[in-house]
Amino acid sequence: MTGAYASTAAQEFLQRAILPKIMILDKTVAVVSNEALGNGNFLLTFAEPEMAAEMVPGQFFMIGMPGSGILLRRPFSVCGLPGTFENDSSGILQVLYKVMGQGTGVLAGLGDGAPLTVLGPLGNGFTLPQPGVTPVFVAGGIGSAPFPALTKACSTPPVMLYGARSAGDLPLLDWFRSHCGETLVATEDGSVGEKGLVTAPLLRWMEGRDPATYALIACGPDPMLRAIRNIAVPAGIRCQLSLEAHMACGFGVCIGCVVPTHGEDGEVDYTRICVDGPVLPAEKLAW
Amino acid sequence: MVTPDMTTTVAGIEFKNPVLTASGTFGYGLEFTDFLDLDRLGGLVTKGLSAAPRKGNPPARVVETPAGMLNAIGLQNIGVPSFLADKLPKLREYDTKVIANVFGATEAAYVEACRMLDGAEGLAGIELNVSCPNTEEGGMIFGVDPAALGHVTRLCRKETKLPLIVKLSPNVTDIRLMARCARDAGADALSLVNTFVGMAIDVERRRPVLANVCGGLSGPAIRPLAVWLTWQVRQAVEIPIIGIGGIMSARDVVEFLLAGASAVQVGTASFVTPSASADIVTELSNWLSERNIASVRELIGGLEVPPRG
Repeated sequence: MTGAYASTAAQEFLQRAILPKIMILDKTVAVVSNEALGNGNFLLTFAEPEMAAEMVPGQFFMIGMPGSGILLRRPFSVCGLPGTFENDSSGILQVLYKVMGQGTGVLAGLGDGAPLTVLGPLGNGFTLPQPGVTPVFVAGGIGSAPFPALTKACSTPPVMLYGARSAGDLPLLDWFRSHCGETLVATEDGSVGEKGLVTAPLLRWMEGRDPATYALIACGPDPMLRAIRNIAVPAGIRCQLSLEAHMACGFGVCIGCVVPTHGEDGEVDYTRICVDGPVLPAEKLAW
Repeated sequence: MVTPDMTTTVAGIEFKNPVLTASGTFGYGLEFTDFLDLDRLGGLVTKGLSAAPRKGNPPARVVETPAGMLNAIGLQNIGVPSFLADKLPKLREYDTKVIANVFGATEAAYVEACRMLDGAEGLAGIELNVSCPNTEEGGMIFGVDPAALGHVTRLCRKETKLPLIVKLSPNVTDIRLMARCARDAGADALSLVNTFVGMAIDVERRRPVLANVCGGLSGPAIRPLAVWLTWQVRQAVEIPIIGIGGIMSARDVVEFLLAGASAVQVGTASFVTPSASADIVTELSNWLSERNIASVRELIGGLEVPPRG
């Protein structure tokens, strides 16, 4: 039964891909706030009304830090759109990030008013589940970044499955608990929720449910995404994965951010995460 | 304040200004129309094209390093036929010089690609990529072996009437020897440099960061190396040089011009700031105006080396 749902997801993906292209903007903005959420997680806020008006959940920015000595911009999903975290119309945008390397290390040190160069909107964004189809989010740690904006865009309250190594890596847990229909938590050390990987509560949730009634949307580390793919595709469950990779440009030119996918010729293709993703249907991936 | 003459000629191609974009950093040009007016550029050099499309290397393909980046894309490209059918007709609508960067796994493949491109309407020239460090089939052997370089250049020269630019590898003991070989084989101009072979290691995992193990280093980190090689080649051959290596601003352009380049290519900067190449054109014009320099050509080879001691 893979075929029916797989082709639906692929069709939805193609429909998205042929939407009229939106102009990519390159703006210099100032940090409005850069709030530490503990354990190296931060919520960065800036305002860019023109970009905020065009951006959809699942799209991303390339953010540069002028004068920092960091050469390339870094990719970050949009976490908050206007209205996600607060009701205002001033073009507020938010990025959730964790300090992982030099780039995010410098970003974490920026105070209010510091300049950022922001390129966006980039990438395709999520395909919203049809009304009546329950969105089931699976997030691994900082992979929760794109879900607040998406939660607000869904017509049916989503189920949130939130996994991480430890309690400190669930930076938006309270927010999801108050905005999702159901929030199930798993940590590898058992410090909050059940002990183990997030796939365990996911499989339990799926048990006995008709795959036509829900759709999976996952973002997190590659091994987690592989596991979700391996659950969803054989069972014929619609599943979108939001991917991440090192990239130099963010708009399709460096071809640095590719992921192996099933090509039309039956061989592996290398698909750019930045322009053909970051959201891809799970069945397209060849890893 | 004068309005400076920005024109420059390389390999018989008249460029409205000396700022071109480097192969592999500017796609097929059309990806940049959100960010800049292509008409502002002296020229653009396409992503490396082969006779047939190529899928490239497995990821990870890029990583930032101090003041630069390593890439091992593996020459992923749409192939010459798709370029001619889908990209070049759209590029013809712009008033800028389009140069096709070409590579092959074998001499025959280079020749085939050049033959397919010869006579294409709207193509100003061919840049032979004999120096990609990232694939066994990327022509690197042609870039590091003087006899092989001469031979493939000569064969391509016979296949096309288009101006032929040979892009030199810096990964050689003496780049002047390679420059002479390319010139003797019929190159109209040289572009230099391609990326330097480098490697980054993930020390926690004890693995190379890039799946290809090594990659090509670009960005400001290589600029002094590239300026030095430009200066060396300038003294070895008389044919025009296009300088490449970590150009981020107009002053960087001037550095290459003084060292002997007649034009430059902006590379990694286009990843950082998509409008960088056009921004640099404006900046360079202002730079010349502020100094009352009437023509950008006055700078070419204008380096003054004081006597030692």
